[in-house]
Amino acid sequence: MSTTYIRKFRYAGIVMFLMLCMLAGTSASPADASDITNCLLCHKYPGISRVDEEGKLRLFYVNEDVFNNSVHMKVKCEGCHTDIKKIPHDTAKKVDCLVECHITEPSTETKFSHRDVATYLEKSVHSTKDEKGQPKEFAEDLPSCKECHDNPLYRPLSFFKSQTPGISEDALGRCRTCHKKEEFIYRFYNHITSRLHKTRIPLNIAEVCARCHDNPDIVARHNLSTRAAFSYGETFHGKAAKYLSEKIPDCLDCHVKKGTSVHQMLSHEDPRSSIHKNNRSNICSNTDCHPDASQKLSNYAVHAEFNLEQSKTHYFFTLFFIMLTGGTLLPLMGIIFLDLVRRFFPNASMKRRKK
Amino acid sequence: MADYPFIRTINGKKYFYRFTVNQRIQHLILAVSVVVLVLTGMPLKFHDTSWAPYLYALFGGIQAAPIVHKVFGSILVILFIFHIFYLIHIIYRGQILPMKKREGLTVKNVLLVLVRQPLVPNLKDARDIGDLMKYLFYFTNERPKGDKFTWKEKFDYWAPFWGMVIIGFSGLVLWNKEIATTILPGEALNFSLIAHSDEALLAALFLFIWHWYNVHFNIAVFPMGNVFITGYLPEELMVEEHYEYYVKVMTEAGLENEILPPHESHEHESQHEGESS
Repeated sequence: MSTTYIRKFRYAGIVMFLMLCMLAGTSASPADASDITNCLLCHKYPGISRVDEEGKLRLFYVNEDVFNNSVHMKVKCEGCHTDIKKIPHDTAKKVDCLVECHITEPSTETKFSHRDVATYLEKSVHSTKDEKGQPKEFAEDLPSCKECHDNPLYRPLSFFKSQTPGISEDALGRCRTCHKKEEFIYRFYNHITSRLHKTRIPLNIAEVCARCHDNPDIVARHNLSTRAAFSYGETFHGKAAKYLSEKIPDCLDCHVKKGTSVHQMLSHEDPRSSIHKNNRSNICSNTDCHPDASQKLSNYAVHAEFNLEQSKTHYFFTLFFIMLTGGTLLPLMGIIFLDLVRRFFPNASMKRRKK
Repeated sequence: MADYPFIRTINGKKYFYRFTVNQRIQHLILAVSVVVLVLTGMPLKFHDTSWAPYLYALFGGIQAAPIVHKVFGSILVILFIFHIFYLIHIIYRGQILPMKKREGLTVKNVLLVLVRQPLVPNLKDARDIGDLMKYLFYFTNERPKGDKFTWKEKFDYWAPFWGMVIIGFSGLVLWNKEIATTILPGEALNFSLIAHSDEALLAALFLFIWHWYNVHFNIAVFPMGNVFITGYLPEELMVEEHYEYYVKVMTEAGLENEILPPHESHEHESQHEGESS
């Protein structure tokens, strides 16, 4: 089959797809307030995709239900995709999270932007510049917004009788007494209760940090003492996180000072840091965790690895148990093996048989 | 009280009394606790494996399994303390008190009583291990003639004994980390975790491979030995493992004529048969 033949079919496919989009667009009105420009006319189709210049398959499908449960549900498409002015549009630029979107921040009534977050990030250990404002070595390894964040979903909580995940209909009933707009009630409830706890469970947080902190190349380039998420995973906290516990601390709970932005994470050498040796004791004795903890508890080596360079005592202590296990079990299993042979072949002999 | 004759004959087959009800209940509590503790602990040690989440979910996942683990851990600690008192009680009542009345109490006497306890390893065990090697490597067809408790049983007793001290202590430290670290440094928690989980793995493998092989899975006993339930060991196993003790108790019971020959391999047996025919 010739390639021109395939190409013809492909064009026919694209034309049919566009016609389908237009037909669907005429019959369905955009249900979502953020889609006033009717982007979902095309982006509601799960198959919408293309292979980009780098040969990567890019999906452009927007699941409306999922988007309407996300923290950005109120932001219009063009609020982030500012370069798209017409439909059909050209290749869109990457979203800049610091752009002023079409939301008004209610307390100051100014246009909302994530610029403050960037300011925190610039003051943190993850900043691409050093204290003198000079670019750091391997700055390309350091994270920007989208290295850690996607579009987070609401995780509403119900506190009506007991704390459970989800929306309390009883609480919504109270909202409806004064507020008439259903969409507002729903969004406000979600916004507040999602913010009263974390948008992500500890396992997801550890996974985000692991993208760089468990990458052996990055760990080596930046002289880090541990593969942080890996060694966290070896503690009870990390294991409980693996089993989806939300009650245990994740990376942010220890590495961010209480009441400050998680984006302003500081080096353990910085005296302002929560994990600086002078401040460390306050981490464990947090009222939510181990309120009776003494100062010594915080000297627990959270990121200990079975690694001779990192800690000799841990290494040899573990090695002792490995040798004890091997030294006990291997001889005993040898005896079991010989015993089985002896029972299955009872007539064999080491002595030469007499004729 | 049930009557437990030392040698019981059922359908012409002799059974020898080994373990009292008290000991069997202690063993059963130990066995059940250890199995539950292994099942609720290993999914944490091997959290990266595919089976771990399913096994953990069986015990209620991260919300409930740690509680189950602590409950059974507590049972085991209580059992261990009980066992220590039980040991002191039976040795004191059974041996030290009569000795005190008989010849008075001296340090040497007490030490001799302790050293001569049936479960204390001795030179005969070393000889038996040597004899077993000769038997396993086909240098002889005679199994070592074991006493009341063979070296294997002493190993089975003392390995969990040491294990329970290590695992129990480190488990209590990890459980009560706030109190423990008022005395111990924070790094004690790291060492406790390593000791707790590594020693537990050793104990689990030791019990489920070595102990179960000896008492259940080897072809003389397979599929299951039931002395841990009934308290009685059948004669053929008594002959195979505890021949010296067997001869002693049979003689004491006045059954010298019924003593069976020591367990030997088929070659030897077939030679006997050949001679008699």
